Amino acid sequence: MASNPMQQFTVHRIGPEIKIADIDLSFTNASLFMVISASVILLLLFFGSKEKKIIPDKIQLISEMLYIFVAKMISDTAGSKAKPYFPFIFSLFMFVLFCNMVGMLPYSFTVTSHIIVTLIMALFIFIAVTIIGFIKHGFKYLSIFIPSGVPTILLPLITVIEIISYLSRPVSLSVRLFANMMAGHTMLKVFGGFVVSLGILGGWLPLSFSVALTGLEILVAFLQAYVFAILTCIYLNDALNLHH
Amino acid sequence: MKSFLIYLAAFFANNYFLFAAEAGMPQLDPTYWASQAFWLILVFTILYISISRFYLPKIKDNLNNRENKIKEDLENANKLKEQAEIKLKEYELILKNAKKDVSKIHFESKNNLDKDIKFKKDKIEKEIENKVVKAQKEIKEFKKNSINSIKTISGNIASEIIKNITGDKLNESSIKAAVEDVSKEGISKYL
Repeated sequence: MASNPMQQFTVHRIGPEIKIADIDLSFTNASLFMVISASVILLLLFFGSKEKKIIPDKIQLISEMLYIFVAKMISDTAGSKAKPYFPFIFSLFMFVLFCNMVGMLPYSFTVTSHIIVTLIMALFIFIAVTIIGFIKHGFKYLSIFIPSGVPTILLPLITVIEIISYLSRPVSLSVRLFANMMAGHTMLKVFGGFVVSLGILGGWLPLSFSVALTGLEILVAFLQAYVFAILTCIYLNDALNLHH
Repeated sequence: MKSFLIYLAAFFANNYFLFAAEAGMPQLDPTYWASQAFWLILVFTILYISISRFYLPKIKDNLNNRENKIKEDLENANKLKEQAEIKLKEYELILKNAKKDVSKIHFESKNNLDKDIKFKKDKIEKEIENKVVKAQKEIKEFKKNSINSIKTISGNIASEIIKNITGDKLNESSIKAAVEDVSKEGISKYL
């Protein structure tokens, strides 16, 4: 009766098989929901910036609030030097947010619940931030591994820890988002299964849990997008403003 | 914790992935990893380019426009307020001057009026006095005249009466003397 709660994460091919050099690049349900999320973002921004009203309507207000929200987040964490990266962080935040939110709709697919997706984003951020750091500071960027004010005896140990923590950034960044999304959706599915299996008599308790969890998951969907974006800002800040 | 274990699993061999996928984690099935990576990069690149090229500048423009408009409006409002204050001061000054003028005019006209009234009153009083004096004189004259005419009339009447009674005509001067005599005693009683 109760289907496998992990079944919602299966990726399956939609349409013809596309193979380039023996690599399967077929359009899947994951690709479909990426396209849907991106389209929703673009539509929102299109209608939000179409009419340049002095007194904004609702949709314009939403897109302006998102703009101000991300702009403030960047200037608070990474300062004015991070301004050129604003479009990237805005796109990243919007993409993660809308993938998470679209995933909350019943029968939809959560793109960010796949480790490969979050890992690619995290690795891209990690590599880009490292390159930016080396471009801005040259080899002085390596001083990020040597915190100031550390006793000389502890320095080798601290440096090793710093290097490990630096290298684990993409892991923590990607796993945090992926695990949160997967766990939340699995939990919703499990409680949904309880509702069905306990029937009309006993199903009310898990149903109320499901309702509460849906609210919680919407909060998590926003929060994880925010965390993903703000951690990107913090990593960017490390690369732009080298501490001494 | 669970997620961390899942991530650790990702580091193991490909066989292990397949095992994990069969065990119930479709995320660890590498069949569509390349496809997901490809579509993610494609979709995100398109999203990034259209957001950074078209939408963010538009939204930024719009926000800047609004800020400028608000700033401009505030400046205008301040300017107008200053002007209004200046006008108010001018108005108050004019009002003050006008009040001063009014009291001055009031005072002057009152003085003039008082003077005029006094002058006219004096004139009228003098006229009345003159008239009174004149009237008194006239009365005196009239009295005098009336005594004379009474004397003449009573003389005539007396001579007529004597003529009728006696049939003689008396000497006029004697009659006159007699009337004079009587009137000396009695006429002052009637006048």
